[in-house]
Amino acid sequence: MKKDKENKRILSDEEIRKLVTARLSVLSPDTMISFGSDGTFSRDELVKKVEKGDDVGEKLAEIQLEWLRSFKDDSLYENYPN
Amino acid sequence: MIVCMKIILTRPQYEITTKYLSCWAGEILILAKKRGVEVLDLAKNKARKDELVGRIKKLQPDIVFLNGHGDDDCIAGHDDEILIKLGDNHKILGGIITYGLSCNAGKKLGPAVIKESQTSFIGYVDKFIFVCDNDYIAKPLQDPKAKPFMESSNQVMVSLIKGNSAKKASLRSKEKFKENYLKFLSNQNDPDSLQVAQFLWWNMRHQVCLESKDKK
Repeated sequence: MKKDKENKRILSDEEIRKLVTARLSVLSPDTMISFGSDGTFSRDELVKKVEKGDDVGEKLAEIQLEWLRSFKDDSLYENYPN
Repeated sequence: MIVCMKIILTRPQYEITTKYLSCWAGEILILAKKRGVEVLDLAKNKARKDELVGRIKKLQPDIVFLNGHGDDDCIAGHDDEILIKLGDNHKILGGIITYGLSCNAGKKLGPAVIKESQTSFIGYVDKFIFVCDNDYIAKPLQDPKAKPFMESSNQVMVSLIKGNSAKKASLRSKEKFKENYLKFLSNQNDPDSLQVAQFLWWNMRHQVCLESKDKK
């Protein structure tokens, strides 16, 4: 279960996984995503990674959660201000 | 007397990610040359540790632009050869503005580098992620999906070449990320747009500009 800063449970792992796979599944089939040294992956490969819960799948879930949280925290643009 | 700006670039190229970074860094090479900057291009198998270290010592560049895979404590070159590693040779970047277009190096390598006097390090404290199109892998410069990512990240170098400070260069880059982010966030026609927006936001949020205490 992922938790927000106040330590409240907001979404279960399964809910996040569903959210991320829903987002990925609408991508164009020719879209590829470069994940640095982890590699470059197609939409279908990424969906499998999220379902499997490997490092790339976990990172996608983390990005999704942080992005959602940023709206609430009013910190959309600056995590590490210059 | 006008002193010419000097830049060293590393552009490894051995798989999709490095091919994209290398090709788009080539645009910076062209811009720098147009503006009369002295540029040393360490491309493909010239992006090696010995080559880079030797050239930094000899040329004493103002800016080092490192493209390639990275981790918390290092940035790699061709075929994943480590070019700069914390505790090994990171001090060689002292007195230089470094832009590491790579994952994670802003986390530990950057803070170590800026312990040297008059030093700046721009990099990313987490994954640098970009979207591309399978149909354009052979021609990255024409890939419309990669463009907003590369354009935004390259803005650091565009700004530095114009003579701006590292802080201002990073700010300009973040502004470009933000501009592209908002464009994709409000796009309702492209099925990729929301995911593209999210990754642009991620890169913008994790870009850092670190500077030594004595840097003005």
